[in-house]
Amino acid sequence: MEPHERVQAACDFLLQSPPGEINDVLNDVRNIISDDNLLEEGVIPALKKYNLAQFITVEVPETNHQSIISEAARLEGEEQERWVDPRSKQSFAFDHITLEASDPQPFEPNEGSEPFRVALEKASLNYLLAHFHDGVTSVFASQAITNQFILQIVANKYNPTNFWSGRWRSEYIVDLNEHTVKGTMLVNVHYYEQGNVQLSTTHSISFSLPPAIVTASPESAGTKILALIESEEAKYQNSLNDTYHEMSEKTFKSLRRALPMTRSKLDWEKVLGYKLGAELSSSKGAFTPGS
Amino acid sequence: MADLVDSMLDLMRRLPPTRTEENVASLIGICPDYADDLLGSVDQPLQLKTDHATGRDYLACDYNRDGESYRSPWSNEYDPPLEDGTIPTPKLRKLEVAANDAFDTYREMYYEGGVSSVYLWDLDDGGFAGVVLLKKTMTPSSPTEPSGSWDSIHVFETAERGRQAHYKLTSTVMLQLTMKKGSEDKVEGTEDWKRDGEVTLGGSMTRQTEQDWPLHDSSSHITNTGKMIEEMEIKMRNLLQEVYFGKTRDIIYDLRSLDDLEKTRRQRELQKELVGFIKR
Repeated sequence: MEPHERVQAACDFLLQSPPGEINDVLNDVRNIISDDNLLEEGVIPALKKYNLAQFITVEVPETNHQSIISEAARLEGEEQERWVDPRSKQSFAFDHITLEASDPQPFEPNEGSEPFRVALEKASLNYLLAHFHDGVTSVFASQAITNQFILQIVANKYNPTNFWSGRWRSEYIVDLNEHTVKGTMLVNVHYYEQGNVQLSTTHSISFSLPPAIVTASPESAGTKILALIESEEAKYQNSLNDTYHEMSEKTFKSLRRALPMTRSKLDWEKVLGYKLGAELSSSKGAFTPGS
Repeated sequence: MADLVDSMLDLMRRLPPTRTEENVASLIGICPDYADDLLGSVDQPLQLKTDHATGRDYLACDYNRDGESYRSPWSNEYDPPLEDGTIPTPKLRKLEVAANDAFDTYREMYYEGGVSSVYLWDLDDGGFAGVVLLKKTMTPSSPTEPSGSWDSIHVFETAERGRQAHYKLTSTVMLQLTMKKGSEDKVEGTEDWKRDGEVTLGGSMTRQTEQDWPLHDSSSHITNTGKMIEEMEIKMRNLLQEVYFGKTRDIIYDLRSLDDLEKTRRQRELQKELVGFIKR
């Protein structure tokens, strides 16, 4: 394999990392490729791609909250890449390997969209407290489209001592021009005690905003939009239960029975059959290889 | 370099089971020298093949492979044909034929469909080893119904000790389940709600056991491994049920709670206050 193909393979592995296991995957990859110089530069784009797609969170400097690093958080028109935390009105540099922020600078939000963004953020923070254990949310005003807002939620649980990890991601694009909400919910679970079992779900939803919400004050619209999101996510979580039930009752059961139709285990002497048994024992005594 | 193989195995334990085949191929591309180590220790979904001589389906894996060819348990022939392909000694082949018949009955009783194959081979130390393979795939009758597959790989080694035989069994079950879902409902005329999604639940679990069983004649090896494998599959089916439908579901609830956590917190606070009030 050519060096660039090896780097490509390493990047493909990194992008498949389960929640919270990117460092373990990176360690394995380093050992397998055994060429740190080649890897060091080569895998940074993959690490960045992974961080953005997985809604990796960062401790925001001089605050006691975290924010989400994602495509929506990338500050446009900067020479050196910088990221925004709209909540603290700061931008900062971000290291995709150490996952640390540095060089915080004040960030001037768009005056027109800020009241609605703040309202949506407030409602989202309340929603987070109500339904997520250890969740982080960031609400961005789109830098490209006026009156478009991007609400992101991520919740992680890493439990390496018990060999499991999980991640819930949701993203909603609230468009006040089109009066629509387009959302995606993604769940990943990895269970790896003497095995490797992974759950991966994708769910997309789109709906139009009722006129009552569009014309309401930012405060009230924010609360109402989050109420719709809350009900939609609850519906989804319940539908996952139905899926589990169906997979377990229909598919799993018809793949392999718990016991044969007779409700008892096999009688192996009978299974082997008289004829077969007789034929085999005619060779006298136990099986001895090579004789 | 055992260290390198360990890293490869650790990596395979973390990457998505749905992509095992492409990831193994990629690892072999990076370290071609370790292809055999990797193919011998990473379980991959069993391939379905048809025996040209008998028309029966059989399962292909690393254990019945010689070069690019696979041996059928029914005709004992390699496909593509091999002049000098490894085959069991006549005596072991006789046992292999009987084992295939027995496990075919087992397959019918538990799987009510699917395919089974048993392969045996001689060991240098005088004993022999074997693998029992079972596979069943479910294709849904409609796109919104779940699809799934079950692959069992039971590898055993045996050593005879007088009228007893010692067995070492390593069992892996790969279970893959997928379901697509979509809905569209019209609410009060104007609001269109569209939902679309997919759930994939897949992977493998491995367990080992070592047991001694009495040996009456060579056919005892079939009844002994049969009982061990049956017991193991019953255990593993329970385990898979617990992990797939219990554990992974619990983890979702560890991420997101259906109940309002704030309400629960407030209730707890209130309770504490009340208890304090009563105590005063």
